[in-house]
Amino acid sequence: MAHIPDGVLSVPVLAGGAVIAAAGVALGLRLLDDRLIPRAGVLAAAVFVLSLISVPVGPSSVHLLLTGLMGLMLGAAVFPAVLVMLLLQALLFGFGGLTTLGVNTVNIALPGFIAAALLGPAIRASRNAAKRGALAALLGALSVAGTGGLVALSLALSSSSYTPVARVLIATYLPLMVGEAFVTAAVVSFLARVQPDALRPASA
Amino acid sequence: MRASVRPILVLAALLALALPAEAHKLKVFAAVDGLSVHGYAFFIGGGRPEGSAWIAKNGAGATIASGTTDAEGRFAFELPAAPAGDVTITVDTHEAHIASATLSARTLGAADAAQPPPQPAAAQPGAGVTDDARLAALVAAAVERGTEPLQERIEMMDSRLRFADILSGIFLIIGLVGIGLWARSKRR
Repeated sequence: MAHIPDGVLSVPVLAGGAVIAAAGVALGLRLLDDRLIPRAGVLAAAVFVLSLISVPVGPSSVHLLLTGLMGLMLGAAVFPAVLVMLLLQALLFGFGGLTTLGVNTVNIALPGFIAAALLGPAIRASRNAAKRGALAALLGALSVAGTGGLVALSLALSSSSYTPVARVLIATYLPLMVGEAFVTAAVVSFLARVQPDALRPASA
Repeated sequence: MRASVRPILVLAALLALALPAEAHKLKVFAAVDGLSVHGYAFFIGGGRPEGSAWIAKNGAGATIASGTTDAEGRFAFELPAAPAGDVTITVDTHEAHIASATLSARTLGAADAAQPPPQPAAAQPGAGVTDDARLAALVAAAVERGTEPLQERIEMMDSRLRFADILSGIFLIIGLVGIGLWARSKRR
């Protein structure tokens, strides 16, 4: 799904992805403190396992990404967390590839980071549980849609023979957006009730 | 943070050198039966791509056959009488899942393999085929048929999600967290 294998993308796309990923990881590493390191580890481990559970959907098989949630809880530290996750998946299971590590990190982490940066303040400030849930659902759906768009863009820019087909992308990403919206809303609502501080990357 | 990054990078570089990732999430299994090829694409961890495009090419890169997979991710096609070299079947789901399987020239068309030059054999079938060669071809075809379930099983086992791998992934992340926290505490 979001794991683009080796040998599909062109060199400029790979290099561009690697540069953006490196910048994101550098930004995220600076943010990691005693409070955020364990959180990044727990989230990376949880999503690493969760993303191994694939659900067959039409021509493909999809799994949750939860990058919106990670962006909300980790801020820019979502980049190193996703990088570690993808590295392990590439090395242990052969999902994705090592040359595409940068591009895949950007495709998965960047939409979550941006969506959380845009919607995060409203989610944290919201006193209304229903509104918070709706915003969190939007966060989950938007980050998945962003990942789908970036994957399609990476393939289209590489002008390979593997161009994505919009119909297939919609058929696979739409159900995932719905699932992701529900899961993100549920987790955020729960955390807001029991541990609102967990929704903030920087200590207040 | 820089002090904690260096060992992680070194570790990552070592791992990258030791284990070249070659498998993909989507895999293709193909088997030959005489001159017909059949197989299917599957996702590691479950699921088959439905209605995905597949294309079969010979060693020279020319297209032999193409189509879309059925509900079970299956495909099938007939080989030309004399396939030139290896045949590669590529399945593309059109959303970044691409995988291929290669059937080596040796396993392809046992009848053709039994004769060194395949060209004359295609032109005049039967001419110049000794009894020994025909017997060898029959045996080769029978062996290919008989070992197909085994090959399928090997392909599946090869790409299974192993519990030990999942656990090592989790513990590697815990280890990284430990390294990060330790490095930070050292600096204070």
